[in-house]
Amino acid sequence: MDRQLAHLSDEALVALAARSEQSALAELYDRYGRTAYGLALRVVRDKTLAEDAVQDAFLTIWRTASRFVPERGKASTWILTLVHRRAVDTVRREQRRRAESLDQAAEPSVEGVEEDAWLRLQRERVQAALRRLPDTQREALELAYYGGFSQTELAERLGQPLGTIKSRMFTGLSRLREQLGEPGTEKSWTSTT
Amino acid sequence: MDLHDLTAAYALDALDPDEAEAYERHLSQCEECREQLAELNESATALAFGTVAPAPPPRLRASILDTAAAERSNVVPLLRRPWVARGLGVAAAAAACVIVGFAVALSQSSRTRVVTVVLGPDRTATLHITGLSSAPSGKTYEAWVIPAGRRARPAGLFSGGGGTTVRLHGTVPRNAVVAVTVERTGGASAPTTTPLFSARA
Repeated sequence: MDRQLAHLSDEALVALAARSEQSALAELYDRYGRTAYGLALRVVRDKTLAEDAVQDAFLTIWRTASRFVPERGKASTWILTLVHRRAVDTVRREQRRRAESLDQAAEPSVEGVEEDAWLRLQRERVQAALRRLPDTQREALELAYYGGFSQTELAERLGQPLGTIKSRMFTGLSRLREQLGEPGTEKSWTSTT
Repeated sequence: MDLHDLTAAYALDALDPDEAEAYERHLSQCEECREQLAELNESATALAFGTVAPAPPPRLRASILDTAAAERSNVVPLLRRPWVARGLGVAAAAAACVIVGFAVALSQSSRTRVVTVVLGPDRTATLHITGLSSAPSGKTYEAWVIPAGRRARPAGLFSGGGGTTVRLHGTVPRNAVVAVTVERTGGASAPTTTPLFSARA
């Protein structure tokens, strides 16, 4: 595979994609396509729909790269936010998980999945941080982010006031941030591969 | 509804569409929420790395790249890296001429491409390009002069391939931008693609 742009930052690749450099889009896909697909699959639970969500998101990147503002956040956050939004839109439109019980938003099995070493480390790190959250906060984050439930739906299904759900999501995300540390520490993670 | 309270739910995509719209309107006026959202967005996105990630089918990559290429097939990739000021490929033609813009980039075949705009004292200009591959079939390169605050004016068509010298039609006013795009054969009356090159006079 052609990885001649491998030395560039994500943000530089987005800037090149804005200039219609197709190899930059390919490099971004090679970096985040797998995580994007795993995320979409977790949310929509259907391979074809997951592929559609990832494709839509990467074409949105291609079409709107010139509007990306690096000062407002990392390129990887932008990319995965686009993927997540597409996946959530899909799952709500398809009404797929409406009939399912809440606990089905739980983590699918790792069995039979050949994982990339670096992605496995990342996954273990995030899962460990999630496990350190109080159950109610972890539940709110997982059902919202992986399950695609809106805060209103969560309040109904969990039988809690909306305010409680909001505060669980806010506190959960803030603690997760503390657990995962500042972005600077991520560099030491990449060097472990 | 206190919109400040919606930041975490927005970061998790857990708002209904009407709530999300209201929050986005609020966001445009609330610096505090923008800052908080940037932080919470990073945390929410970390959750993306918490999932098992099976390899997507190879056809997904091919499909994305093919669709992307088809959408902007009339643009020739130019930049390997940002403009790098290096030696000029063209000597300043005459002492009175001013070089207003030049750029060096490595084209896809790794050949060095040099783009130079030489502006004469009468404000006519010549464009010198080396290392530019021939325009794709059915396409042409088109030069533009874009006076400050005005519409782009067609300034000549050329087909590229090796060294190219193009005398631009008309004159180049002060602060105008000279640009080159790829257009359909016969040229366009206004640029339809992202410029391969642009420089301000």
